[in-house]
Amino acid sequence: MTLLLENISLTIGDVLLVKSFTISIEAGEIVTLMGPSGCGKSSLLAYIAGDLTHPMYGNGHVTLDGGDLIYLPPEQRQVGRLFQDDLLFPHLTVGENLLFGVARGSLKKRQNLVSEALASAQLEGFEDRDPATLSSGQRARVALFRALMAKPRAMLLDEPFSKLDAELRHSVRNYVFAHLRERHIPTLLVTHDREDAPAGGRVFRISNKGDMILA
Amino acid sequence: MKNFLNSFAGFLPLGVLWLGPLGAGLLAVLYGALDEAAWRALFGHPQLWPALALSIGTGTLSLIISVLLAFWIVAGLYGGKLWPGTSGLMGGFLSLPHLAFAIGLGFLITPSGLLARVIGSAAGWAAPPQWVTTQDPYGLSLVAVLVLKEVPFLIWLISAQLARPEVSQLLRGHFRVSQSLGHGGASVWLRVFIPQILPRLKWPLLIVWFYGASVVDVALAIGPTQPPPLSVIVWSDLNNADTAINARGTTGALFLTAALGCLALVFAVLKKAILPSVWRYFTRGPSRRRTPRITSGALLLFFCAVYALVFAVLCVMSIGTLWPYPDLFPSELRWSAWSQFLMSPAPLLNSLSLALASTLAALALAVFWLETVPEKLDAALLACGIAALALPSLLIADGQYLAFLRLGLNGTWLGVFLAHLTPVFAYVFIVLKGPYRAFDPRYRAVALGLNADNYRFWSVVKLAMMKPALAAAAAVGIGVSIAQYVPTQLIAAGRLTTLPVEAVTLASGGSRPLMAVFALMLAVVPATAFIIAARLGRKPL
Repeated sequence: MTLLLENISLTIGDVLLVKSFTISIEAGEIVTLMGPSGCGKSSLLAYIAGDLTHPMYGNGHVTLDGGDLIYLPPEQRQVGRLFQDDLLFPHLTVGENLLFGVARGSLKKRQNLVSEALASAQLEGFEDRDPATLSSGQRARVALFRALMAKPRAMLLDEPFSKLDAELRHSVRNYVFAHLRERHIPTLLVTHDREDAPAGGRVFRISNKGDMILA
Repeated sequence: MKNFLNSFAGFLPLGVLWLGPLGAGLLAVLYGALDEAAWRALFGHPQLWPALALSIGTGTLSLIISVLLAFWIVAGLYGGKLWPGTSGLMGGFLSLPHLAFAIGLGFLITPSGLLARVIGSAAGWAAPPQWVTTQDPYGLSLVAVLVLKEVPFLIWLISAQLARPEVSQLLRGHFRVSQSLGHGGASVWLRVFIPQILPRLKWPLLIVWFYGASVVDVALAIGPTQPPPLSVIVWSDLNNADTAINARGTTGALFLTAALGCLALVFAVLKKAILPSVWRYFTRGPSRRRTPRITSGALLLFFCAVYALVFAVLCVMSIGTLWPYPDLFPSELRWSAWSQFLMSPAPLLNSLSLALASTLAALALAVFWLETVPEKLDAALLACGIAALALPSLLIADGQYLAFLRLGLNGTWLGVFLAHLTPVFAYVFIVLKGPYRAFDPRYRAVALGLNADNYRFWSVVKLAMMKPALAAAAAVGIGVSIAQYVPTQLIAAGRLTTLPVEAVTLASGGSRPLMAVFALMLAVVPATAFIIAARLGRKPL
């Protein structure tokens, strides 16, 4: 799987926010995108996911293994996302949160998938727990696995570590990266903290003029 | 000590004017129901069980349909271009009271009504059709009025929830996550939004439910008659000249309330047992179904058309003194009903004086409470307010009638005023509480730092900043007071006539133009209040 961003540009009203650029993200690669708030990095993720809203406007092609995503509605793109907040559904149990994105089929099989996921998240037997009773580290892991269980073909991370405290941040970061690499998912990470970028990975910066610069 | 005195000062006027009459009414109705003969008479009533089934059936059916339609419309429009205007439009629809709407809809759908005339003129009918529309035995026209009136109210409530910054932000996040997990818009509403919004509407839904199952004036205008809903049977018992039959009415009101209470309890237990499996059913995997934008827009259009038609037909009817079947338009237009209405202005003046007085008193009581009583006691008062609104007005009004008998307040303006204050204060407090408690106390520090004294801060800063909320609460209070039929009729004991009292009397066989005039005035007064409130809310002091 390769995520190809081709001639992407972003405008707000008449103002050009991000000038046309092209990046190819290989399977299992984690590319980092940095820049100050308001530079358009989160909007870029929204454009790829398909829910960019007025007055932002994007242009260019997003392809996954040759198929163009731009003409698909967001729910058919199979692009997973993690946000600053874990956004676990408060009215569902941990197990139901994980089931939420698992394709339809026999309940037994789907529940087995959930149990396996909880085991690899070191949260065995947490199926019936209320998400409100989880620690922030546990919630972060559930949010990751909820996204992974929908079998995303690419991942977009929108500062998912910024609300964790320093100690937790480090371990959650490595944990997330390891799982994404293991599943060969091309990933685009947006952050304003250099520390968040995985070691050795490509890091891009959006300049004041909207140029995409390889740091 | 000072704190205690302050709290006490907040309690005292409220206790005399609101809690006292409410509590006395409830005690009086319980005491009045200690009458074995009355209970025997009630259970000997041949229509008791079918009438109860009709009350519960129409109330419950209308609630379920209203909730479904309201969410259907909101799901399709939320976030779209039509959405910002929708909630304002619903506020406008709300100012048309149930009774006025029922009268107007009746003009539309009766066998000799406008709808039959339009179809008849196209199909060449010679006589009115043999339809049973209004007062149909199953109460379907009653359900229709309730649904048409409650859907705008529910949409307005939902939009108020969605407008809260913390709610809208959370739901926006949930929407994005759900989409990334493969869910289309309809699926997100069904599985994520509705389960989170519905619990926030628990109390308003209870109020709507019980209102529909115990409404009197609308049922008199458009509900079934053989048997009528239990509320109508109780109502005619309470208005009987025979005190033994009055006592049967008291037990009937209590019986209807108890039945509704049991039903709500059963529902609460069932909900706990069923909801988890409902949510589990909802997690059976992503569905790509998108939000139903076209049907939602069409539904909204339908509601607009019905309200516009009801309003238009009331206007024409009020001046159409001669309008025989099958003419589509009156053959004679005269202002005679309007001049008749203006020649004897007592109903309008009474309604206005009661509405203004009860609203001003409610505002004063609410502001006094919010200024003097600590916030942690709000929940207790809110619970009393919800009780005052959810308990059938039949029950409260009957209790207040019995209590006021001893005080000699029946048939007096003061008695009716106190009866109006019961629901008016509850609504005013609910509307005012949120914005008032959300006032940032640092403004006070800033004002005092600028050499303003406490009074100057309060009058120039705080009241000015609270003006939109005060104006909105006042408009709601006036709308609530104008629509009160049951307490007015019962406690005024025929000595004080108001707009809804006259409208109901005319609806059981009076001059149709005059009935239309009253229905229109029922809508004009609250609508004027809402327009003035919207203006006042925007203009600086």
